[in-house]
Amino acid sequence: MASLLIKNARIASEDNDDLLQADVLVEKGVITSIEKDIDAKAGIHVIDGSGKILSPAMFDTHIHMREPGQEAKETIKTGTEAAINGGVTGVVLMPNTSPAIDSAAMVRTIYEIAQRDSRIPVYTSGCITKGREGKELAGIDGMLQLGVKMLTDDGDAVPDMMLLKRAMEYAGEFDCFFASHCEVLELSGPRALNEGKVSYKLGIQGTPACSEEICMDRDIRLAHATGARLHIQHVSSKIGMETIRWWKQMGAKVTAEVSPHHLLFNEEDIGNYDTHYKMNPPLRTAEDNAALLEGLKDGVFDIIATDHAPHTPFEKQQDFINAPNGITGLETAVVSLFHHYINKGEFGWSLLVNRYSAQPRRMMGLETVAIVEGGRADFILFDPEGKTTFSSDFMRSKSENTPFLDKTLDGSIDLVVVGNDILLQR
Amino acid sequence: MTRKDLLDIESLRREEIEHLLDQAAPFKELFTRSVKKVPALKGKSVLTLFYEPSTRTLSSFEVAAKRLSADVTTFDVPQSSVVKGESVRDTIATLQAMRTDYIIVRNQMAGIPLAIARATKASVINAGDGAHAHPTQALLDGFTFKEVFPEPAGKKLLLVGDILHSRVARSTSTLMRKLGVEVAWLGPGSLVPKHGPSEIRKFTDYDEAMKWSPDAIYLLRIQMERQSAPFFPSLREYTKLYGVTQERFKRIADQGTYIMHPGPVNRGVELCDDVMDYQRCLIDQQVENGIAARMAVLYWLKPNTGQNELPAEQ
Amino acid sequence: MPTNLTAADISKGVEVIAEQIVRCNSDGGFVLVGVRSRGDEVASRILEQLSALGLQVPMGILDISLYRDDLAHLNSNPKLQGSDLPFAVDKAKIILVDDVLFTGRTVRAAIDAIMDYGRPSQIELAVLIDRGHRELPFAPNYVGIQLETQRLDYVDVKLENTDGIDFVEITKNKNV
Repeated sequence: MASLLIKNARIASEDNDDLLQADVLVEKGVITSIEKDIDAKAGIHVIDGSGKILSPAMFDTHIHMREPGQEAKETIKTGTEAAINGGVTGVVLMPNTSPAIDSAAMVRTIYEIAQRDSRIPVYTSGCITKGREGKELAGIDGMLQLGVKMLTDDGDAVPDMMLLKRAMEYAGEFDCFFASHCEVLELSGPRALNEGKVSYKLGIQGTPACSEEICMDRDIRLAHATGARLHIQHVSSKIGMETIRWWKQMGAKVTAEVSPHHLLFNEEDIGNYDTHYKMNPPLRTAEDNAALLEGLKDGVFDIIATDHAPHTPFEKQQDFINAPNGITGLETAVVSLFHHYINKGEFGWSLLVNRYSAQPRRMMGLETVAIVEGGRADFILFDPEGKTTFSSDFMRSKSENTPFLDKTLDGSIDLVVVGNDILLQR
Repeated sequence: MTRKDLLDIESLRREEIEHLLDQAAPFKELFTRSVKKVPALKGKSVLTLFYEPSTRTLSSFEVAAKRLSADVTTFDVPQSSVVKGESVRDTIATLQAMRTDYIIVRNQMAGIPLAIARATKASVINAGDGAHAHPTQALLDGFTFKEVFPEPAGKKLLLVGDILHSRVARSTSTLMRKLGVEVAWLGPGSLVPKHGPSEIRKFTDYDEAMKWSPDAIYLLRIQMERQSAPFFPSLREYTKLYGVTQERFKRIADQGTYIMHPGPVNRGVELCDDVMDYQRCLIDQQVENGIAARMAVLYWLKPNTGQNELPAEQ
Repeated sequence: MPTNLTAADISKGVEVIAEQIVRCNSDGGFVLVGVRSRGDEVASRILEQLSALGLQVPMGILDISLYRDDLAHLNSNPKLQGSDLPFAVDKAKIILVDDVLFTGRTVRAAIDAIMDYGRPSQIELAVLIDRGHRELPFAPNYVGIQLETQRLDYVDVKLENTDGIDFVEITKNKNV
């Protein structure tokens, strides 16, 4: 690509909510100039950014791309295209594929597929235990040698506390961290929905919030005792959020993420067994929504991650108990967070950039992609006046199991640029 | 005013419930005739799909359908403890090909009848799904209650026992409340859901509940076998705390309180033998009314398997 | 095009039926069965007339909804009001009463319904209005009013106790 000049966009950063209006010149994949009124020299590709926001591109640390093993739901190819479609230019895969990503060989396989099929960087986490079975430790060193930073049995907790403690002691000093899906299985029932008004009404045994909170506390205590770094995934409840807040005050080395669906939806949305609102941890109550938002603003949640979990229409059309947990999120996160929060003044662009671009990259030991002179081009151009309809045609994911299906929201991602390449232009 | 499916009580309007309860009466009248059968559903096919064994409910539906002259087929499905959704979907495809008009389904998992209803043109009647709903039981209970109390609003009904796992408790409580009946639950904390409707009073003490002076007591069946982690220590202890023992029965009889039970009864657990001969024990009446209520439901529903409209007749 | 019928026409019709019935059954020995709805009201009026003529007979009401041959074609099934036959049907002579006789399908349903209560010795048919256009082979024994109509005309009978007024409106089919 020749040089690229974006005129008159307002530039978002994680540092403050005052958007700076300027022109941005990109040459050879690097931002060479940010100034008012840069002249468009001949041969430069000029994009009018008037009224639009130029933001660092997002990074999602909690992604299920299902490859290998369940390619009918998603592949690394379709999943990374979905990411680009949602303004996300880097992803961390969860290891619950089939077979699970629990060895250097599997990590290598993932990187080979990504090399071939993906236009954005793909990172993977690795299992804590072999086959995510919670019995023996996975091949940790081999995975770390290939650059794996996050160890997790996501989808499940490690039920055996002694095993988890040993893993933390073993790898705690290495350049990696643990990530926990928190759930005490004995309390979870069929893992279908929150224990509450809706589980009573629908006649399905619910999973109480304490199932998640007990495990969360357990894992942080173990990490704290062993000195390992720990990241708590997809926190869904108020007390879970407060548990993390308390441990952070205690000086524990813990970070945490919140998913857009736990902020935006609650158990009432399930209505009459709508499986597009079925995920694990389950949607809880309106009170939890409010507490999670507060936790996000206060910084209890370091990052936003979608837990993008594609499933085929057939699977989701089953009855509520049999339908699998999870919804897609990569393509809807930025627009839905803009629509529901930024556009309504709940929080500003700096929070979104911090929690969904800068912090996730820092957690993974990567450089951030701030829009500064000398920085690498890795950004999106967002039109706050635009609209996005999440139709089948719009979505690049193989699956469309999202409550936003066919809904129209405010805001539109018009451009995604990484380095020298325009990955998306609408 | 008609529907394709009957899946729960929650979604029925009060007028619909009252219509169905009113319609059960003329069906019950038919039982006194020498010929108990009417031709209303002649040529229609009814398929029963019971993933959970239940002789009583199955027979009640069969009798109801046959008295309406429908052809009834029992579809043999595995009555195993776990049924995968995919195999249910395959079964539905088969049923669809059979062009059945009504499907009566019972499953141990909540939401299966809805999933079936969405996938078929046939009318689907939920004959019990998990702990979710058992709408025809609620209707027969409502019909029975109204026979005793023609003006049910303001009357008091106490449900006793395993509310947590009981679709009967959910549907019957919902229906009674829609009729204006005051509903309360009695049972141990482990079997009375915390998150039930706030308008339903919750008792854990038998004597406290009786001081509330219910007009009828609805005893639920206690199922020991359902308990992986026990909900109470022993049947003996349950009976001691919540069973209608002989001593308690005497007081109930003195007060003239009616007794209901969805069957089958565990004699010596929920109630003592004497209750069965009590004049105000409605258990047999519930069984008879079950057929009438189910006929009313079958007559009311309209499958989408339809025929062409005829021109308007006089 | 026949004209509408007034209250006077209706009561004249009822009288005509009652007189015919008495003429043929001077010593009683029969029961009246009115078909819901409005056939029952016609039957009770006949009953009054009979009683004025000195004949006391029992009367029953029949709901034929469950016997209709068009249920599968209706968007919603008619509301059941129930039957009430307070006498033994076995060996009884039954005079079936309805407001209008048209295609004969209601009569077919009514006869089937009665047969399910027992085996009557004889069934006769009395109608307030015979408007013709039979689709089944039935002929009434007693007729109050003969109306010449077209097949698609609409004959709307209103009776005091059911509808608040005695009136019969005949509407020409607008599509013709």
